Amino acid sequence: MKPQVCILRTDGTNCDLETYYAFEQAGGQCEMVHVNQLRSGARKLAEYQILAIPGGFSYGDDIHSGKILSVELTSLLKEQLSNFVAAGKPVIGICNGFQVLVRTGLLPRSELGTISATLMHNDSGHFECRWIHLLIEESPCIFTRGMEGTVVQYQVAHGEGKFYTGAETLAGIESSGQTVFRYADPITGKATAAYPLNPNGSLNAIAGICDSTGRVLGLMPHPERYVETYHHPNWRRGHLGEPHGIPLFRNAVDFAVKNL
Amino acid sequence: MPIQEVRVTNLPHVNDPRGDSLLHTIKTFLGIHSIDRIATARVYRFEGISETDAKLLAQSLLAEDVFQRYTLNEPIIEVRGRTSCGGMSPIEVRGRTSCGGMSPINEAAVLVEVAYKPGVMNPEAGSIMKAAADLGISGLLAADASTEYGFFGTVTAAEVETINTRLLVNETVERVVKERPITLVISGKTADTRIIPIRSMNDDALMELSRDSLFLNLDEMLAIKSYFTELGRDPTDCEVETLAQTWSEHCVHKTFKAQLIVDGKPKKPLLKRLQQATADAAHPLVLSAFVDNSGVVALYDDLAICGKVETHNSPSAIEPYGGAMTGSGGVFRDIMGTGKGARVVASTDMFCFAPPDLPTDEVPEGCLHPRYLLQRVVAGVRDYGNRMGIPTNNGSLHFHYDFRAKPTIIVGAYGIMPAADAQMGQPRQGDIAVAVGGRTGRDGIHGATFSSGEMTHRTMDVNASAVQIGHAIEEKRMSDALLKARDEKLIRALTDCGAGGFASAFGEMGEHSGVRIHLDQAPVKYPGLAPWEIWLSESQERMALAVTPANLPRVLTICAEHNVEATAIGEFTATGRLEVYYKQDRICELDMEFLHNGLPQRTMTAVKKLKTVQQDHPSAPADWVQACTEIMAHLNVCSKEPIVRVYDHGVQGSSALPPFGGLPGNAPNDGVVLAPVPGKKYGMLIAHGMNPVLNLADPYHGSLWAAAEAVSNAVATGANPADLVLIDNFIWPYPDEESLHDLDQAVDACTDFVNATGMPFISGKDSLSSTYRARDGAVIKIPPVLCVSCFGRVEDVTATVSSDIKRPGSALVLVGQRDVNQMGGSAYFEIIGASSSRVPQIDLPTLPGVFNAIHQACRKGLVLACHDISEGGLLAALAEMCFGGETGADIIIPEDSRADYFLFNETAGCFLVEVENMETAWELFAGVSHLVLGRTNDSKNISIYRGASKLFATATGTLFEAWRRPMREVFGA
Repeated sequence: MKPQVCILRTDGTNCDLETYYAFEQAGGQCEMVHVNQLRSGARKLAEYQILAIPGGFSYGDDIHSGKILSVELTSLLKEQLSNFVAAGKPVIGICNGFQVLVRTGLLPRSELGTISATLMHNDSGHFECRWIHLLIEESPCIFTRGMEGTVVQYQVAHGEGKFYTGAETLAGIESSGQTVFRYADPITGKATAAYPLNPNGSLNAIAGICDSTGRVLGLMPHPERYVETYHHPNWRRGHLGEPHGIPLFRNAVDFAVKNL
Repeated sequence: MPIQEVRVTNLPHVNDPRGDSLLHTIKTFLGIHSIDRIATARVYRFEGISETDAKLLAQSLLAEDVFQRYTLNEPIIEVRGRTSCGGMSPIEVRGRTSCGGMSPINEAAVLVEVAYKPGVMNPEAGSIMKAAADLGISGLLAADASTEYGFFGTVTAAEVETINTRLLVNETVERVVKERPITLVISGKTADTRIIPIRSMNDDALMELSRDSLFLNLDEMLAIKSYFTELGRDPTDCEVETLAQTWSEHCVHKTFKAQLIVDGKPKKPLLKRLQQATADAAHPLVLSAFVDNSGVVALYDDLAICGKVETHNSPSAIEPYGGAMTGSGGVFRDIMGTGKGARVVASTDMFCFAPPDLPTDEVPEGCLHPRYLLQRVVAGVRDYGNRMGIPTNNGSLHFHYDFRAKPTIIVGAYGIMPAADAQMGQPRQGDIAVAVGGRTGRDGIHGATFSSGEMTHRTMDVNASAVQIGHAIEEKRMSDALLKARDEKLIRALTDCGAGGFASAFGEMGEHSGVRIHLDQAPVKYPGLAPWEIWLSESQERMALAVTPANLPRVLTICAEHNVEATAIGEFTATGRLEVYYKQDRICELDMEFLHNGLPQRTMTAVKKLKTVQQDHPSAPADWVQACTEIMAHLNVCSKEPIVRVYDHGVQGSSALPPFGGLPGNAPNDGVVLAPVPGKKYGMLIAHGMNPVLNLADPYHGSLWAAAEAVSNAVATGANPADLVLIDNFIWPYPDEESLHDLDQAVDACTDFVNATGMPFISGKDSLSSTYRARDGAVIKIPPVLCVSCFGRVEDVTATVSSDIKRPGSALVLVGQRDVNQMGGSAYFEIIGASSSRVPQIDLPTLPGVFNAIHQACRKGLVLACHDISEGGLLAALAEMCFGGETGADIIIPEDSRADYFLFNETAGCFLVEVENMETAWELFAGVSHLVLGRTNDSKNISIYRGASKLFATATGTLFEAWRRPMREVFGA
């Protein structure tokens, strides 16, 4: 049976269609679920094997990006969410979804309600939409199995994507191998702090992290925007192999098929 | 309970990008260098809750201690002299006063708090209210958010005043907060409906009534007077306002419908001619043209795509951020309100301004500086499109000195829907009238009539209420809800509430039947609105629906599930009347026939003004590299990439050809290709063309150029000309006899283009008020603008073409017909100070053959890269292609052409094409005018030869830097 994927929506979610399509391509069975349906009990997170929080501007990103939805999740859906994670089910937050996972406390420390990192306004002071290169690190992340050590290309599109945290938390993330994606220089393949290769000034060039189990992933770039060959801006210049977003979603579906 | 204040700022060791960015602008734009740094803080105010609850909000919602700190009911940015100078209000502006003993490093010289004016809806307030409820906080009556700026350094009060007026505070919607407000709750008493004694008014009194709010002429005022004289009563304020709105130029296009006398000879109305050309073209893909909120054509698989392009010049001129936002919001609703509803898949933006380095003393009274306008308009389009999740991926920017009083702001939107839902719905008797979306406030009163009037030095004062701040999330959730209702077949008819608000929306929906509205049922933002204000308000993010009584409960449920307010406020009737009630009072009763057809048709006179014919013959440039560099840095040629980067042009995962591509990702493509249906290889293509400079020099040939350029942009990316349709936008000075003559010429060009190519216009809009009248009577007319947008389906998005050169050693061929001596209106002539009235003349008879040859070549997969010739000419096109491929090129100019004209002529409808070799070029383009120019190479130079001898070579890197510089200076990195 195909794993059931909950594509969580709310006011201002806007990368839901493409995230839905990416998971369907990867073999998942997707359903769009509005947060109101979880609040009312019309849908329950327990019915799904994978949770995806797509990009967008939930509630306009008022106060902080993803903040209002985070407050809603930690105030009213805390139990459902913690049960879902405790059951070992994969969770992915992309862009606004990453901001939500960090602001709920699920990333990096898996402590719902306690914020230990943040995504600040880009150093450039403005929204940034461009294709960037990402180095995939060795990590426990189940979404990037088999991709470690490679450099992929995704698009970023955000105004608040600078990963920032205190020295202690940062050291903890790095020592436990929770950094999954780093902004990289296309020539050297190494992590970079140089704008615009690193489009937001993230500490240690961090573009995406997982929790200690590797089953909760958050990243600023958009893998769901590269699941067809023609999504890449320069596909006309030559073959880049399988679209770089596909393996990420396929790994999650495979994981759910084998383990859940 | 007192108002609670929470202030939040970043921790001292964390940077403040908002402050840094503002500081950059202050230095580069205002030339003020006395500020060392700027610290910003957010200020949140709450009414109705305790300090304990405010603290909970601060900790759980407002401040994140990872990088921020907060204060409760206390200042957060320390100001020099606050304590030692004794009890200064934290927002008091201080000059260079030194208050002994204070450390200057941690204290700002000046602190300024900027907030929206009371009554201007702050979108953030609703989110705060929601989060507070989610946190279990009750009793919160109102919330507000504003921003504090602490200026550190030796800045003076006078400098801060300059910063406030020129950058921080737009007095139309914002204010500097001087003291803690007593209440955040807006209260008011509903005003009574007034009777306007129109029957007893003489002509002077009628015109006095019209001035500044109704914008009707004497004939129209007399028609209203005579209607009510016959009825034997005087109208209510609501009735007069309804007529003024429905009859406004903005809504009814009086000029385009007028009988014309052109140079003494009668001519059919402009709109009739455009519509006739469309009818004659009988394009097989057109499903709906000129009747709905947008034009619709077939896609594949029983789907349809639609397009609409709008202007928002008047609001953007006085409040560019809000004006641009609501412009985008409005055109998106046009798509959402087409047929039974469409999903918006793309957004476009075309702007005209005065040069951003315009000296401040040349900005006319009552107008805003073009650099400020440009930055704020871009910010408005960015914030609305990005938040709605609509990719903004096609646009352009044009500069001319005569846009210094009034800019031209054009925004477009495109959508997709089932073909079965493409036709406009028609309400039936008994259907319920439903208002959906945002609440109604005093926003945008008189927007329609205001947009129809000339702009004057008084405009900013008198019409301040005509602008508001858009709320993109309100519109996004409304779109989500309406698409669900459409898919469940619950919608009989829908339209957007744009100019004229409910009056326009329900007035038009009920035109053929009748409608009865109960305004007291409409949800309002705050009390105190007069009934006519509710009726005419142009509050954004609202739509009007007709649904059957049986479907109403389900529609209301779907809306509630999406956090969208929906309210039944009336019913459709068979009375043929527009009836509006407020509680028991009937405040409006007008015959639909009079409302929609009672407007006297105008007869307007157009007279050709003889323009002096001029033709300079400048000598060739002494320094070719210098000339090329200046061309690339010309404002109408230079890279607009910094703007595209702040728009999310990849959302929806549909992009198959982005606005910028090529190796470094910063070479421009001519159009945008989308695959909006996931998993399907078919898609759509969007492009446009416009050139105000040419329109000013020659309205007929300038307009032909715009249409040819629009289609060339589409064809250069691989479009099939047979699948393309057009949208017209005329943005013109007030139509006096001369401007009307120019307009008549432009419309002739459009219809000639349709007749020659078979591509019909299926939607359009005119905005004929871009004239500014100064206090001393001086007049500034904008250069006339015809923007032609072009869109259509694409059979296979993987058979489309980008502009970046693919490899060294391939052949470059120029395809298309041009006379290089037609240099009038070119960037080159402007740079060298030459003048000519000989503008490029598009060769209509051969144009379709050129389009077709390019398309066939693309379809065969033999075109490696293609770029159309436009501003900057062949040289600019070649340079951009080389940037994208990181290549060079060798080009040979024929001996019989002037080299500078050959390189810099701007004739549209010509293409620079990269193919594998010369033989391919000869084969592909045998039937049309073409010339093999040379080869690409792997050098870093563009080398130009005249016959066998080298004329000059220029480094592509030099051109690239020149090309990138102007907009980077405006927008930062």
